[in-house]
Amino acid sequence: MTADQPNGESRIDPITAAVIQGALDNIAIEMGHKLMRMSYSSIIRESEDFGTALTDAQGSQLCECRMSTPLQSGPIPGYIRHLLKTMKERGEVIRPGDVIMHNDPYGGASHGPDVAFCVPVFHNDELVGFSATTAHHLDIGALSPGSCGIVDAVDTYAEGLQFKAIKVYDQGRRVDPVWHILQANLRAPHLVVGDMEAQIKAARIGADRYLELIGTWGLDKLRAAHADLMDYSERLMRNAIRALPDGDYGALGHIDGYLDDPDPARKDLQLAVTLRIRGDSMIVDLTGTAPQIPDKPVNMPFEGTVDCAVWLTLRSILLDSVIYGNIPQNEGLTRPITIVAPKGCLANPEFPAPVIARFCPGNQLADTLMKALAQVVPTKVSAGIGNLRIASFSGFKDGRHWVHMEILEGSYGGRAGLDGMDAVDTLYANTRNNPIEDIEMHLPLRVNRYELREEAVPAGRWRGGIGSVREFAFLDDGGFSIEGDGHKYQPWGYDGGHDGRTASITLVSNDQVAKDLVSKVSYVKARPGDRLICLGPCGGGYGNPLERDPEAVLHDVREGYFGPDTALEDYGVVVSETGIDLAATRAERLSRQ
Amino acid sequence: MKTIGVDVGGTFTDLVCCDMTSGQVVIHKVSTTPHDPSVGVMQGVKELCESAGVKPSEIAYVFHGTTTATNAVLENKIARTGMITNEGFRDIMHIGRHQRVEHYSIMQELPWQNRPPVARRYRKTVAGRLAPPDGRELVPLDEASVRRVAEELKAEGVEAVVICFLFSFLNPAHELRARAIVQEVMPDAFVTTSSFISPQFREFERFTTAALAASIGPKVERYIANLEAALANLGIAGELRIMASNGGAATARMVTEKPALTLLSGLAAGVLGGAWVGELAGRNDLITFDIGGTSADIGIIRNGRFAETDARSTSLAGFPLLMPMIDVHTIGAGGGSIAHIDRGGAFRVGPQSAGAVPGPAAYGRGGNEPTVTDANIVLGRLDPDNFLGGGMKLDAEAAHRVIAELAERLGLPIDEAAEGVLTVVNANMANAIRSRTVQKGIDPRRFALIAMGGAGPLHGADVAAMLSIPEIIVPPYPGITSAIGLLTTDLKYDEVRTQFQTSQALDIDRLSRNFAEMEASLAARLRADRVPDDAVSFLRSGDLRYVGQGYELKIDFPAGPTTPDAMAKVWREFHDRHAEEYGHAFTASVIEIVNIRVTGIGALPKLPPQVAPKGGSLAQAELRKGRCTFRIAGTLKLFDTPVYRRTALPVEVPFAGPAIIVQQDSTTVVPPGAEACVHPSGSIIITLGGRV
Repeated sequence: MTADQPNGESRIDPITAAVIQGALDNIAIEMGHKLMRMSYSSIIRESEDFGTALTDAQGSQLCECRMSTPLQSGPIPGYIRHLLKTMKERGEVIRPGDVIMHNDPYGGASHGPDVAFCVPVFHNDELVGFSATTAHHLDIGALSPGSCGIVDAVDTYAEGLQFKAIKVYDQGRRVDPVWHILQANLRAPHLVVGDMEAQIKAARIGADRYLELIGTWGLDKLRAAHADLMDYSERLMRNAIRALPDGDYGALGHIDGYLDDPDPARKDLQLAVTLRIRGDSMIVDLTGTAPQIPDKPVNMPFEGTVDCAVWLTLRSILLDSVIYGNIPQNEGLTRPITIVAPKGCLANPEFPAPVIARFCPGNQLADTLMKALAQVVPTKVSAGIGNLRIASFSGFKDGRHWVHMEILEGSYGGRAGLDGMDAVDTLYANTRNNPIEDIEMHLPLRVNRYELREEAVPAGRWRGGIGSVREFAFLDDGGFSIEGDGHKYQPWGYDGGHDGRTASITLVSNDQVAKDLVSKVSYVKARPGDRLICLGPCGGGYGNPLERDPEAVLHDVREGYFGPDTALEDYGVVVSETGIDLAATRAERLSRQ
Repeated sequence: MKTIGVDVGGTFTDLVCCDMTSGQVVIHKVSTTPHDPSVGVMQGVKELCESAGVKPSEIAYVFHGTTTATNAVLENKIARTGMITNEGFRDIMHIGRHQRVEHYSIMQELPWQNRPPVARRYRKTVAGRLAPPDGRELVPLDEASVRRVAEELKAEGVEAVVICFLFSFLNPAHELRARAIVQEVMPDAFVTTSSFISPQFREFERFTTAALAASIGPKVERYIANLEAALANLGIAGELRIMASNGGAATARMVTEKPALTLLSGLAAGVLGGAWVGELAGRNDLITFDIGGTSADIGIIRNGRFAETDARSTSLAGFPLLMPMIDVHTIGAGGGSIAHIDRGGAFRVGPQSAGAVPGPAAYGRGGNEPTVTDANIVLGRLDPDNFLGGGMKLDAEAAHRVIAELAERLGLPIDEAAEGVLTVVNANMANAIRSRTVQKGIDPRRFALIAMGGAGPLHGADVAAMLSIPEIIVPPYPGITSAIGLLTTDLKYDEVRTQFQTSQALDIDRLSRNFAEMEASLAARLRADRVPDDAVSFLRSGDLRYVGQGYELKIDFPAGPTTPDAMAKVWREFHDRHAEEYGHAFTASVIEIVNIRVTGIGALPKLPPQVAPKGGSLAQAELRKGRCTFRIAGTLKLFDTPVYRRTALPVEVPFAGPAIIVQQDSTTVVPPGAEACVHPSGSIIITLGGRV
């Protein structure tokens, strides 16, 4: 991350720049489209937990796929830089026809299950770039089935296989021994290996298109366009930062950690963010964040998770795409931003501290950053978000493993002029849920309920988003694990808005004994008839509820989100059968001032 | 026999009357009447009959492309609609796929939460549950509750009710029973079910499609009824046929039952019109390229058949539609697209458009922003005195002024800036075509580009050159190709059944039986529409994927009894299609048949081939010499360019570009190095020999 000022001078004419940018976007979209459609496991094809991008020879990003999830595309440059470094150290040469596999969380990867396949692009015998795809794989050979909910891994070795720049194709020839290792060490290889092959095909298509583009424009023009695109993104980010008042703005957040652990160092973990805004650049200082946990995998890789969480949150708030349109995601956007995190804290762990369950902490960190920004740009943020949780289901049937991951959505807080988005993925996650009719058709699971929570709306002038209720039942013997957060700490309310609601998961056994679970549950066996009732979190309210338009309160009552009692208690609005009692409402609100 | 085609667009309602024996065509245009489009339609029909000298009683068919359903959804002017669904699943439509529209945005809104077709207060739940693999009953339907909630909906003034139960695509029994109860309670309401509208898995998409269908039902029903009455009033005894999104026509009765059929009615006809023009010119691999003021619509025709979208790629106003649809890809690029420099200093053209009002600066209606149309004027490609056949005078000075301002901001000479506007907008369009061809394993160089819409023939040659497409076909009436397309349709109804059968354990008897049942049902439907048996045919297909995948490819199935040999051929074709579409086939993997489909076709009389007007010599066709700017070998050059009157051009006499051809509804550009020739069918064919 340099602090270089873009000189404002373009290297090529604006028309060629526009045409090349369109062509680059088109390539990344094609890669994503093909990967999604060819892949086998629902985590890729339904949840869209994958990324595609083209980079230059050093790993600087040219374009990314808009369908993919930000936490997948974002880290690709880091994957490339680290595989280059690793191979150089080993004295290994990258050649045409190679395909390189990489998933090292201390080497650019977001965490081990997100495996990248990188195809080097050669032009006239010169390495000119990479076409890369990443995807979240169902299983990576960890201590228990699945690749989420591995919440008891004691170090990175327990998290599954580690691929540090491994050639799976060498000059066009498949490296069979590597594939034999994969086949033997992954549960459900029929799905995982198929997904990996799809990733390689999509990356190769990107490489072909990249070459065609070089053929059309020439390498020099392409490089010039790339440099211009980075300057363009940088200029937008610097302009946005320059518009903010200089100063230091701090915020704290918390993650549950391991709430049932006797060791206090493993729970109630603090996240600290201080924004230091100076002119057209800023430092995001995470000093004050809790120390890493050496033997629990909630540590966040600095590169691949922490940086992506920070960048994504800043651009979503300062360069909101509803207002700014699609801005190319590249190094330019991140040049004005420096991230500082002391070595050995949760946000900058040291090898071999485990990291596989870094997802929820990372999203909470994004939320804490938004809380700091709320002091600077209150009309561009939401109140606190509800974090996500992941339930991993598995079993062994007819000689095969089945593994299924459910990403349980959170919700947004209220916003200036807008209520929070209900039951939706938040901040750096943007996956899709699995259709109930797909789950039940293919897995020994039943979904008994999927709807919004009622009487759980965080009040505000703009109310918080409403979380969901999703209930699963096992139809067969199997098991599950939970990787989540937000069972203890409520999403923050803003400017008089109420705090949000926590999430919960209740296990009801087939003999009807109910037990509330904490947000991290290591693999547990399940019997037919066992049920999991998952309540999603509700985001914080924004602004004083007594200022909410009574009509909006009436609407909430009529829609069944809460009853007249809540309307009165939270909002001071008197709702009767026929509508709002305006006089009574006025009196009620006056009495509370 | 005479037929009329009426296509309602955003600004104009296009009409065409054809004598199906002689092939004689008369065209007409009236302004669209947005408050009630049938007013414009009836005015147009009346005037058309007069100008064509046709008695209303002679009209055998009126083919109609309507945007009534589309606009109702886009403008959210829908009926108060209720839903009855399973207990525990009240908010399937509200949660959707729990995905945000935008990755990088806090202030975005989600259409399915902000303006759901059914408000939560009207979503009622009842006990009852079906389950896979065969739709068996886990919990019986609580009929008393159905009756109770229907009474509630009635009291709440609901006009339409949709019944959506999980797994109804496997077994519609609960939905049908609930429907019967609701109809008893609410005899005047529009009532439909998700299994009737689209019996396919994925509950959010199916429920939403069905809910949209219900919410537009009353409006479409009224519209069709009014139109039928008005046509009868005028003395037209012929039959009304409505264009459906699947590229076929449907009877008024069918559309009234399945109003969602018309959700993309307007776009489908354009592709058909393009296909017909191409076929007459002897080409059957075509890209239809329809550019208007705000958008460009792209359709693909291979071997004379148009592409259909797969079940997961169609949406309207942000809502998914699980319906068979002709594949039309729309992007925001047209004559009104605005060229601008964005906040980061990058040069962009569109997607914002100046529309018809204020329109491009050259329209002189107060438009002050540089548009694609203005750039075309600066380069001499649009003749200010011959726009819309001289029907509308353009303000060339205004166009120069706004492009000069743009050029200053870009630091470019004015002609470079004008040409830059075209280059960027053309590149956007070429990318869109690439995404429908190259990215799906189709080589566009084997295709001809049908340049239609008012602005298609202006850009066709440049866009084709970017894609190495060698040939551009400009239809006789580029601006009303959709109305023409209406006269080339058949009745087309679809049935679909979810199978979830695999190549490993295939129940061939079940497959055969299901195909036979679907064909019997379609045959009954077409018989009820008075289609003679010998005019009925069927097309079978299936949605296939490798087991585990989430996206299907549509593969043709053979007619007649389903045999192991026939299935072996189907599996082979799937592997081939997969390799073509994605660049790879997993030949060792098991294949799953997700759905099977049958399209029942009732043949209708079609527009006969056209004959080009005789024309005279090139010299006679030449209006004047213009000065046009084109880029040759990297530099912009001014060319003396003849401007020809289209109707006067000789047939089968080739002429070299540069040339501009003007006609009532469009302007065609033939660039330097290209050759153009009027084909006997009336189309102009431009060949890009030297330029490619």
